[in-house]
Amino acid sequence: MVKGVINGIPVEVKAGTTILEAAKQVQINIPTLCKHPDLISSAACGLCVVKIKKLNRMLRACTTPLEEGMDVQTHDPEIVETRRTVLELILSNHPNDCLTCGRNNNCELQKLVADFGIREESFEKFVKEIPADDSTGTIVLEPQKCIKCGRCVEVCQDIQNVWALSFLERGVHTRISPAGDIKLAESPCVQCGQCSAHCPTGAIFEKDDTAKVWRAIQDPEKYCVVQIAPAVRVAIGEAFGFPLGTNLTRKLYALLRRLGFEAVFDTNFGADVTIMEEASEFVERFVHKKGTLPLITTCCPSWVDFMEKFHPDMIDHFSSCKSPHEIVGALAKTYFAKEKKIDPSKMVMVSIMPCTSKKYEITRTGEMFASGFQDVDIAITTRELARMIKQAGLDFSHLPEENPDHLLGDYTGAGVIFGATGGVMEAAIRTAYFLITEQKLPKVEFENVRGLKGVKETSVSVDGQEVRIAVAHGLANVEFVLDKIREAKRKKEPVPYHFVEVMACPGGCVGGGGQPYGVTDELRTARARGIYGDDEGSALRCSHENPYVQKLYNEFLGKPLGKKSHHLLHTAYKSRPIYKR
Amino acid sequence: MIKRIFIRDTNSSSADKARDFCNVLRNQLREKQMDEKVQLIRAADMGVYNQGIVMRILPDDLLYGQVEEKDIPRIVSETICGGKRLNDLMCHHAARQCRIVLRNCGVVDPESIEDYIAQDGYQALAKVLEQNDPEKVLAELKTSGLRGRGGAGYPTWLKWNLARNVKESQKYVICNGDEGDPGAYMDRSVLEGDPYSVIEGLTIAGFVTGASKGYFYIRAEYPLAIERIQKAIDQAYACGLLGENILGSTFRFDAEVRLGAGAFVCGEETALIASIEGKRGYPRPRPPYPSTQGLWGKPTVINNVETLANISPIILKSGKWFAGIGTETSKGTKVFAVTGKVKNSGLVEVPMGTSIREIVFDIGGGAGSGKKVKAVQTGGPSGGVIPEDFFNTPVGYENLQKIGSIMGSGGMIVMDESDCMVDIAKFYLRFCVDESCGKCAPCRIGGTQLLNLLEKISDGKGEEAHLAALRRISFAMQKASLCGLGQTAPNPVLSTLNYFEDEYRTHVLEKRCPARKCGRLFRYSIIQEKCKRCGLCVRNCPSDAISGNREKGYVIDEAKCSRCGLCLETCKPNAILRG
Amino acid sequence: MNRLKKEDLNRIKAECRGKKKDWIKVGYSTCGVAAGAQEVFATLCREVKEHHLDIEVKKCGCAGMCYAEPLVEVNVEGMPRVFYGKVTPETADKIIEKHVRGKMLMDDHIYDLKVHEAGAEAGLS
Repeated sequence: MVKGVINGIPVEVKAGTTILEAAKQVQINIPTLCKHPDLISSAACGLCVVKIKKLNRMLRACTTPLEEGMDVQTHDPEIVETRRTVLELILSNHPNDCLTCGRNNNCELQKLVADFGIREESFEKFVKEIPADDSTGTIVLEPQKCIKCGRCVEVCQDIQNVWALSFLERGVHTRISPAGDIKLAESPCVQCGQCSAHCPTGAIFEKDDTAKVWRAIQDPEKYCVVQIAPAVRVAIGEAFGFPLGTNLTRKLYALLRRLGFEAVFDTNFGADVTIMEEASEFVERFVHKKGTLPLITTCCPSWVDFMEKFHPDMIDHFSSCKSPHEIVGALAKTYFAKEKKIDPSKMVMVSIMPCTSKKYEITRTGEMFASGFQDVDIAITTRELARMIKQAGLDFSHLPEENPDHLLGDYTGAGVIFGATGGVMEAAIRTAYFLITEQKLPKVEFENVRGLKGVKETSVSVDGQEVRIAVAHGLANVEFVLDKIREAKRKKEPVPYHFVEVMACPGGCVGGGGQPYGVTDELRTARARGIYGDDEGSALRCSHENPYVQKLYNEFLGKPLGKKSHHLLHTAYKSRPIYKR
Repeated sequence: MIKRIFIRDTNSSSADKARDFCNVLRNQLREKQMDEKVQLIRAADMGVYNQGIVMRILPDDLLYGQVEEKDIPRIVSETICGGKRLNDLMCHHAARQCRIVLRNCGVVDPESIEDYIAQDGYQALAKVLEQNDPEKVLAELKTSGLRGRGGAGYPTWLKWNLARNVKESQKYVICNGDEGDPGAYMDRSVLEGDPYSVIEGLTIAGFVTGASKGYFYIRAEYPLAIERIQKAIDQAYACGLLGENILGSTFRFDAEVRLGAGAFVCGEETALIASIEGKRGYPRPRPPYPSTQGLWGKPTVINNVETLANISPIILKSGKWFAGIGTETSKGTKVFAVTGKVKNSGLVEVPMGTSIREIVFDIGGGAGSGKKVKAVQTGGPSGGVIPEDFFNTPVGYENLQKIGSIMGSGGMIVMDESDCMVDIAKFYLRFCVDESCGKCAPCRIGGTQLLNLLEKISDGKGEEAHLAALRRISFAMQKASLCGLGQTAPNPVLSTLNYFEDEYRTHVLEKRCPARKCGRLFRYSIIQEKCKRCGLCVRNCPSDAISGNREKGYVIDEAKCSRCGLCLETCKPNAILRG
Repeated sequence: MNRLKKEDLNRIKAECRGKKKDWIKVGYSTCGVAAGAQEVFATLCREVKEHHLDIEVKKCGCAGMCYAEPLVEVNVEGMPRVFYGKVTPETADKIIEKHVRGKMLMDDHIYDLKVHEAGAEAGLS
């Protein structure tokens, strides 16, 4: 522990704590535009400067650790003036597009400019025109609005290990771009959207598909249906002033109906079906020794993309099971359409996802058209939904609570926990245990796979056999797990794991790239708490107990991994080089 | 023994007066039948300036200054024939260079290790290895007071000690040869002229800090320096002076060359490390300092070329000897690359504490143009200008800082009356704007905005408010930039603004450039009454800006004119007006 | 060359200093090369060979007088060591002819001189 003084107030913090963090203990928030709690400080913006007494310099609070006996001043007229000048300089190199910018009212730069009361631009405006890059159809780069804070580059390189984004050129010409100045679509980008979730301004954002959704809803010819992903329900409330992590599932059902959707499904139902298939797949491989171990989950399209681009040697390990929303999509246009006698060609399926990558997944391969139509027509993010709600003028907090449409709407606790890291694993083990032992689990919670630790390794005893499992989230953490698998293969040792879950985004889908801005570990934890609360409150906690899942298999699919399941609910992977050129 | 007398007129660049003088002297020698015993040589330079006719007489080694024809008889009879010194003619040769860093430059063959060994090369390393006591070396360095010659002046022993005290099996030492200040080339010369001394210094640094690996980070624009260092490394390996069991000891040290791609910011320690690691040359915040976490996260010492060249002499001649040279806080010598409007541009090594005046006038020979020297700029783009009023300042880290400049790596650019201070500030700032890595906002945008304002001022679009804006942005850049480049980039602006605010004001208020440098603030025209219609200006104009004919006369098209001034220089009847 | 020990250093030093020989050094750093040192060096080598002179022509680094490059330092027994500056191939010819062979110093080209006798270069110790 070190002791210091900030603005005359004594503080005591752990050695190595930055002045920025230490100041929070004495209720001071030092402004910054580049520092993000997820990331190592790049120290780029220069706004967090503070004075250290006895030192004739200003230092960056974001990177300077508080030292024993340090006497820090976080604001005085000179410091404020310096910050204001830097802010005005940044503003002079930033377009005045606020009113038409995707980040209007939600922009860190805009907020600081307002806080500092900057009413005139002292310096001549110079903004170089750089064309936007919307080549991916999921994420749009607008380098013109970039303030070069470096968060996207760090998250892409250090947290995700994708290295799609980098800085190009130097000095005032510096800009973000894929290396080699290629388009994002030609780059190794896996479209996880973490760059957009961390961007302080409107330089990187999700491609807005809300207009398409409005058009589909308004089209009298179309039968517009919708589904919401597990992580959406605990995050959407942030945009409407609900306490962090509030679970709004049933208000959302009401809301979606009022937006004009004719049927409201839940991706959690699809998650239950996924578990039926994936747990069966696991049992096949683990008990009947048919197929390679470990089995690796594939609910996350960015992870799938990452694997196909960087780790194609792992394809054998991949579960062929589609992700939950694709399952709901395929079932809606077959099973639901048949039961409700609706022409599937008129049906429009909209997925509301915490994820930018889902926009890519809906046309990923031919298997995404298993129903004979595009199974999911439009995928929008939580942020886009929030805007639609505001456009419609719906008073979210006072909406009544409703239920989803049956057949594809009712879910168990196992379905909802898909939204947090470790959730798929936990849900799968609950059902796999039953499939292997035909007994009910004495305790359904697996605390060891929950939480924000990058790689979680544990084992479960099933029928006297040890099942070794690993859960990784944040793509950089995957390398550790994969290397261990490869090492064992090379040495012909027993596999280190039998079952592996991977989610591209830190925290899993609750921390998805399409979630409301301002994600931190605190927020990820709060959202996960909402999800686990939903699980705990559920009467049914295991996917195989879901009566509608049972009905689906009895009346339509037959059995898991059966012919119909295979056609509708499974997909395949192929090796793809990193650079398409 | 034959006497040799070197003669030079130190007031003029022409040899005419010296020639006449020689003739008179020769005649008088002939009269005394001494002409066979004396050789008179007209020298091209004597290292003495503005002392009239100067004579240097060998083998007595007497230096006479301000010699007149009337003195010749005395000199012939008393000095040449009588061997007597004439004290009233003795010329005081004040400024003496003191060569420690450059001791071998121009002396040894840089591609021959024997040559270096003959000049006591590797004796210091041998001594260090024999004593086998790194603490003793540190103590010697501490006594010497040697400070980093890269510019910041951090005590070398302290830097080494920090890295030495970190418990880590792998450590690195790096020689920073990424010299990039405009007009500075001290490091290049040392690397080219005496590569072994730098290798020896780095090897000793490796031994003291516990590093087994060293890098020479040299910019790719220095091909000869790279070639020589590489050859020297190869030869040192062949002689067992690098690699395992150096000089028969148990010490192992490897060295290799890494090329910098020429980014100025890579001279900054953390950016240099990123560059060696193969990353984008971005500086990173400190702490952690490279001494504890540097190259690949390991403790790393980075020393400038000149610093390393000082190591061997200190070890051989003692820290006390070194501390005896220089001032209270700045010890030893400093190499300056004196360039610009100076008669003798070149490398100068002087004891710390030598005044700027001595360097510019006594060694550099003053302005080559004959115009008045106005200021010098030290410290490159991170430094500032020092006006002539402050030329008596003894050079040293703190002294130069006090007057708004810095020691820097040792560039010293001399400016005369024809240099415009707004233009100078613009030049240095443009350099920094071009070389900014773009990482931090204050440097990236602040520099661009400053340059924008300076361009307005020199284009005649300046307003009084711009001067305040210059100061405001400069302050923010100094305080909020991440690395040294941005923190010091406004220095040339601030120092010119502080010392030559009048010049700025003339630009802003009168829209006039007193030095006639800022092209938009003056123009050339032809005074028709004086013009003889010779057409010489038309033929000389490189921009085709002069039109007309012999009958009607000639006019200059202001839009096409590039303000090169060739017409003015070539016009015989002085019919070109600049104003 | 063999791997050296400390004794070897002293031996090499003594050997080199023992050699008393006339030499010419040409400043061959970037400043010299840029000013034309290559041609000057070649001319000097050629002339020395042609006249079978017992004088060594060597390259060396920058002596600091960059304004006077190409710089040629000449050390001939019994004469002061002098630096000829701004040497052209023609001047180089003359250096061999007048200074080396004729033992006469040349007018208008000398930029500096060393008073010490040749070979007594001050080492560090």
